[in-house]
Amino acid sequence: MSRFSQFATLLEPYDLTFLAGTPYVYHCHHFNLFHDQTIDDAVGEKAGFELRARAARDAFVPLLQALFERLGATTAAEKVDIAQDLFASMGQGRLAIELGPDGTVRGRGAHLHYGFAWREKYGERVKRAFPADAVAAGLVAAVAELTAQSAGPWTASETQCVGMRAPACEISGKQGDSHGRRRVADQAAFERYLGESTGGLHEETISAIADGLQGFVRGASGDDRGLMQAFNVFVTQHFSSYYADTGFAAVKLVEAVSPAVAGSCEELLREAGHVCVFNTFGNILMSPEWEGMVGPLKGDAEEIVQGCAAIARGLGFGRWAIAEHEPGKRLVLRTQSNYEATSWLERYGKATHPRCYFMQGAAVAFMVLATRVDWAERPKLTQAYYDNLFRGKGLGFKMQSPRCLTMGDRETEIVVEAV
Amino acid sequence: MTDPLPSSEVAAGINGLRAYLVITMPDCLPYSAWTRAGSDISVEDSAGYFGDLVRANRQGLKSVGAWSADMQVTIEASDTLVVLRELNDHFVCCAMYDRNTALGLLRLQLKSLVDRIMAGLPQLDVEERPRAVRVIEFLERYAPDPHAVLLRVSTRTGIPLASLRDPLVLNPDQVRSLEETAARILGLEHINV
Repeated sequence: MSRFSQFATLLEPYDLTFLAGTPYVYHCHHFNLFHDQTIDDAVGEKAGFELRARAARDAFVPLLQALFERLGATTAAEKVDIAQDLFASMGQGRLAIELGPDGTVRGRGAHLHYGFAWREKYGERVKRAFPADAVAAGLVAAVAELTAQSAGPWTASETQCVGMRAPACEISGKQGDSHGRRRVADQAAFERYLGESTGGLHEETISAIADGLQGFVRGASGDDRGLMQAFNVFVTQHFSSYYADTGFAAVKLVEAVSPAVAGSCEELLREAGHVCVFNTFGNILMSPEWEGMVGPLKGDAEEIVQGCAAIARGLGFGRWAIAEHEPGKRLVLRTQSNYEATSWLERYGKATHPRCYFMQGAAVAFMVLATRVDWAERPKLTQAYYDNLFRGKGLGFKMQSPRCLTMGDRETEIVVEAV
Repeated sequence: MTDPLPSSEVAAGINGLRAYLVITMPDCLPYSAWTRAGSDISVEDSAGYFGDLVRANRQGLKSVGAWSADMQVTIEASDTLVVLRELNDHFVCCAMYDRNTALGLLRLQLKSLVDRIMAGLPQLDVEERPRAVRVIEFLERYAPDPHAVLLRVSTRTGIPLASLRDPLVLNPDQVRSLEETAARILGLEHINV
């Protein structure tokens, strides 16, 4: 358990998690890489890196400010130490930050989550031409801003990346940012948009599992490399604003520039939900930790859907509740708060169509896992198996969202039905 | 689909043969195939990957001025010997043998196998499929996250998904854009298909 976990809080009964007031969730490297890839697809690699680095910086600055205050850090050395330690405890990697006497700020690390995980997952398949570690760049920019003598935001770029086969990642800060720094949705913002929490079916079972998972992940922390390896994936504690703000910025840009293909970008954001549920949720369900906490997995559809709802809560996605479930036929998920909706409403006001893309994709994936996976076989959750489930034979389910928090409704409702 | 060659007869009596494929070029699709009973070889995947390997080999040899039409590649894998042999401009033979097959015997038997295949190959000009179709197939074979690759191309290029699923409707500018995007996604300078 890290020294920062004492500042983690849970907003009951919404299953939303905050670190010193900054909202966070847990996501695995499969989701993280897919999400970042989608941002780059939408806006281009260079602009994508900048957008992602700014989103990370804009979340790190208020978090670090709060932590510096609570931990009594006043000197630059203390602040750098906290920032490095925080980054590693989040499973983002071990980054050595150096403040130069000439005002320069640099970061170096051989095991940063994005570059390292990218090389592990795709390195043999594709040669990467662009750096991957925008989140680390965001941290360097945040530290630079919070330790510099002169006020104002910084940016940072990655000049070498492990994902591009460099021996270590190198990040360099630069003072000034014409875009300025944007305020991210904090706990107060989340509280502004809460609907009345109603819960759903099997509430007692789901809540008990979610409580156990929340306790488990809260105790997790980065290893010597600053990576968090659990459930057969690399896990990160990450800013929900990072995902929501970059995802929405990307889709808004595509809507403005190439409206004919906005649906493709939206579909990629939903696909990220499939990727997350298949990899993270699937591996959690088959983990020894799950068996120890819940018991042996039998694999029936009810159990899988309930388990998935509990995992979503445990990872801080919000109080996802099962309103209806007919195994193999129909699933209705509801929530009165999630990170997508808060970020959307804060940035753009009421949406004209449902925008909880991640939850939409995840709900479909719940049904796919519940009906098409033979859990008794303990399948390996490989890319080939993913393709078989989500691409090879078609999904077999359609999804609609008749109500959505992003549209100003009191809850998001997602209906998945067999076709 | 019916195999255009009498594959069991073609493979009959060839000791150590685990499978053979006749692969169309440049599309890398299986034209004829035979696999020994109990084998779990995926004919489509093998045709795609080994066809690409031959294509890359052709390009590499041509770049150093060493290509000849009777090129042959032998791969000594841990439990399989794979021989890739160009039959003509349009077809390649991929023969897979048990690893313990003696190389001398293999060469003799390969000649026999190739003769039988050549006797049954059509004497006609093979029409190349449109470039856009080949680029998309290449991308689906090699891109990371193949399940999402058309969505990615659509988002990057502005080409609607429906058009990418029916690549014959793409205009030349769109094909060029598709090709550039495919190369970018794969981290290549250009796509050789």
